[in-house]
Amino acid sequence: MKQWVGLVARLVVAGFLIVAGVSKFPDPAGNVRAVRAYQLLPESVVPTIGHALPTVELIVGFLLLLGLLTRYVAIVAGLFFLAFIIGIASAWARGLEINCGCFGNGGVPADPQRQYAIDIARDLGLLALCVWLVIWPRTRLALDNLLFPPHERLADGEQGPSTVEV
Amino acid sequence: MANKARQQSKSERAQALMREQQRKERMRNWMVIGAVVVAVALIGGVMYFISAGKDTTGQAVTSSGTPSNLTGTYNVAIGKSSAPTKIKVYEDFQCPICNEFEKLAGTQMRQAIADGKAQVDFHMVSFLDRSSTTAYSSRALNAAMAVLSTAGPDAFLKFHEIAYANQPAEGSAGVPDSTLVQWAVQAGADEAKVTPLIDGNVYHQWTVNATDQMSQDGVSGTPTVYINGKNQGTDWQAAAQNVLNAIQ
Repeated sequence: MKQWVGLVARLVVAGFLIVAGVSKFPDPAGNVRAVRAYQLLPESVVPTIGHALPTVELIVGFLLLLGLLTRYVAIVAGLFFLAFIIGIASAWARGLEINCGCFGNGGVPADPQRQYAIDIARDLGLLALCVWLVIWPRTRLALDNLLFPPHERLADGEQGPSTVEV
Repeated sequence: MANKARQQSKSERAQALMREQQRKERMRNWMVIGAVVVAVALIGGVMYFISAGKDTTGQAVTSSGTPSNLTGTYNVAIGKSSAPTKIKVYEDFQCPICNEFEKLAGTQMRQAIADGKAQVDFHMVSFLDRSSTTAYSSRALNAAMAVLSTAGPDAFLKFHEIAYANQPAEGSAGVPDSTLVQWAVQAGADEAKVTPLIDGNVYHQWTVNATDQMSQDGVSGTPTVYINGKNQGTDWQAAAQNVLNAIQ
């Protein structure tokens, strides 16, 4: 059962990341502006982060879709959502009126307050799914199951806390 | 005794064998992880350079690629500098809310400029190229700069008015260059002069840099309106009303 929940968690997080990455990828200059709008990072790193964001989202998204190195990838994805939540919350707290730029095209939304709340709620949900995957990284239909076959002595899915036993 | 010792060494051997097996498995797992990480890093690196390479922001603009008659690097202030009300707007020709703002306050702002009541500082940008299939946003800005460069601020103002009155819908194919030339001529520009500037999209890099400057200015959307230096916020209807109050 847990493994099926894990599969759903993987696919949901992967779906969000891939859609976000695909919608951002064609507009690198826009992504740089979206990162800059948060006014959190020094200008020297803003362009690099803006250019790297869609690539990282796509890669993390596809790794989750395939179920490859699930635990480690879920840690990375979770840290990302944490960073996004902090960014949006701080923009909100400072009274900045920006579009999160989550799905590209940073602009000013009609009702920024409401938009901030929605964005944070969504990222909290995605963060929770990542935490689930870090705790129970064994999931159905994952490449991990082929590359790192579970040990016989472990009851399927139970007690197998680590995808990769190192 | 001997039997027991034998048994012990047997179990030791079994343990050693198991440890050896586990060691091999760990090695194998690390190698698989390493291979995946290397593959991901390679793919990611290629994607990053594609993404970064497409962004021409900040590239130098040649003198022929820089519009004339600007009052700043990326803006043109129109109206008497002694006018009591100073308005500053950041607008995109493709932005529908900018169009709504122009419908509410555009005519009055042009009148206030003519009457010497207001000076309007236009910071035109183009971040909505993806809202049309033909990068209308930056082509329209390029055309507006062609008009400004060849026919001056009054013609630019007229072009600005025409472009908003005929704004193509978001998601459409925009309008072709030939229509932009028509608008430019209608605004008072010389057809022979503006046509090569519009067809050649000669100010394109400038439009990219102008848009980046908006972001550097701390402005993240359009329309953004300032009255005497004060940002009017995201409520464009209130902003338009405040503009009308300030210039009446």
